[in-house]
Amino acid sequence: MNIEVIDHKGKKVLTLSGEIDMYSSPELREELMGILIKKVPALYIDFREVSYIDSSGIATFVEGLKYVKSYGGRLQFFSISKGIMDIFKFSKLDRVFEIYGNLDDAINS
Amino acid sequence: MRNTRKTTVSGEYLQHLEQKVEDLKILTEISVLISSTLDLSELMTLVIEKAKSLMDAEACSILLYNKSTNKLEFEVAFCRETSATDILKNKITLDIGQGIAGWVAKHQKVLIINDVQKDTRFYQEADKATGFLTKRLIAVPLVGRRGLIGVAEILNPRKEEYDNEILDILSRHFAIAIENALYYKESLEEERLKQEIEIASVLQKSFLPETPVLRKGNVTVSAINMPAKQVGGDLYDFVEPVEGKLGVFIGDISGKGVSAALYMAKIISDFRYLSHMKESPAPVMNSLNDILSKAPRGMFLTAQYALADVVTGEIQIADAGHPPFLLVRTKEVKVMSGLSGPPLGIVPGTYPVSTYTMKSGDRLLFLTDGVFEAKSREGKRLGFDALVAFVKKKRNDERLIEKIADYVHKFSKGAEMADDLTLMELRFMKDQE
Repeated sequence: MNIEVIDHKGKKVLTLSGEIDMYSSPELREELMGILIKKVPALYIDFREVSYIDSSGIATFVEGLKYVKSYGGRLQFFSISKGIMDIFKFSKLDRVFEIYGNLDDAINS
Repeated sequence: MRNTRKTTVSGEYLQHLEQKVEDLKILTEISVLISSTLDLSELMTLVIEKAKSLMDAEACSILLYNKSTNKLEFEVAFCRETSATDILKNKITLDIGQGIAGWVAKHQKVLIINDVQKDTRFYQEADKATGFLTKRLIAVPLVGRRGLIGVAEILNPRKEEYDNEILDILSRHFAIAIENALYYKESLEEERLKQEIEIASVLQKSFLPETPVLRKGNVTVSAINMPAKQVGGDLYDFVEPVEGKLGVFIGDISGKGVSAALYMAKIISDFRYLSHMKESPAPVMNSLNDILSKAPRGMFLTAQYALADVVTGEIQIADAGHPPFLLVRTKEVKVMSGLSGPPLGIVPGTYPVSTYTMKSGDRLLFLTDGVFEAKSREGKRLGFDALVAFVKKKRNDERLIEKIADYVHKFSKGAEMADDLTLMELRFMKDQE
């Protein structure tokens, strides 16, 4: 897994690629919580290049989601591939996370 | 003809030779000594005491290189004040390049400084924290087979004359001995962790039902659970909350390892208690959702709880983001995705219940994602559709769940089993004796 943090017109975007599993999720957690601890109003997660996510990866995002909700922030996913979307739908996680087609849709929501 | 020519040597040369012999004796002595233990702290003490007496120094210290933080940390220090080690160990770390030890770590060269206080590289904080006054200093890099291990510092040595070569050989010996002790410590730690995981795995198994098959009235339930190498998070249970009802619970907790095993144990005992307190699967799920919302690190559980009437075959099912179950009949196999809520422990809410009435001969097949996410040696995943196709083919097989387990096992032959795999069957057969 690779993580890149981008500033897009003052918005924080986390771009991920590769497999998010029990081996890579500790690194994701460190990066994710490191940003959220500053209580950013919204964090956008780019899923375009993510090929697989397992339950440890999802748990990392659940932890992030619970944290942003505690201060009234938002965690927004975008550009999720069909394969990953199937995993989300299978577990009804599409009802838990905010999911958008692209970054602009997420920002304008 | 024998060469009888005599060579005369100067007294100075003889003295030099004697010194060399003396140094070599000490060197041999130290080598034997430091090879005698693999205990890291014992070794450190030995190394530092020897270095101190050899150089007739006031104090000595060793800083170890921490790869994960890229810093030097005080491991041990010897001076008159015994509290100095604790102070240094807890308070002082150096970046590579920072202070004299940092410089030595960076350049991997011996540094001898005769007036430390005038040297701009000197990091004053260690002296300030301990009250020690460093005047002269010899700093030696400790480099092992894996690269930098740390830096040894000899403070205020009274001996003026010493052999650089001996110092160099000695530091290499120290480095290798420390490295061996570190390897040993790591392998002990690994062994301890391995044992803990094994214990967790045995404990986890002890929470599952004692018999994999249970029959009540017209309903028979059976299960197969194959845990992954690392302790995984699958769980299942059979309960009889009230007379005439038989319940099955299947779940998969996010994550793996000891934390997942511990949480699984908690969930099973909570479930056993709740299922006896509440008559329908929905309130049981709602309560489990509340309990799990306090779980650490975003841990969550996907689960299904099905409660069957052992006479009529009416069945109530509550689902929390778990993979669909299959209805297996003699002529068809149906993927059942009824009413469902998100996995337990993520968001507050209430869970709906779906109700079905089973016909005689119907079988319900519950499973965890380890079944269809099994990976082949080539890295290909089995997939849900392939699983359903296999079940369709074997739908009339009496030992269906065993056949599926074999099929998955064959598919992932040669690849490490990454996730637990659980299969559970609930069969309704009227007038079963």
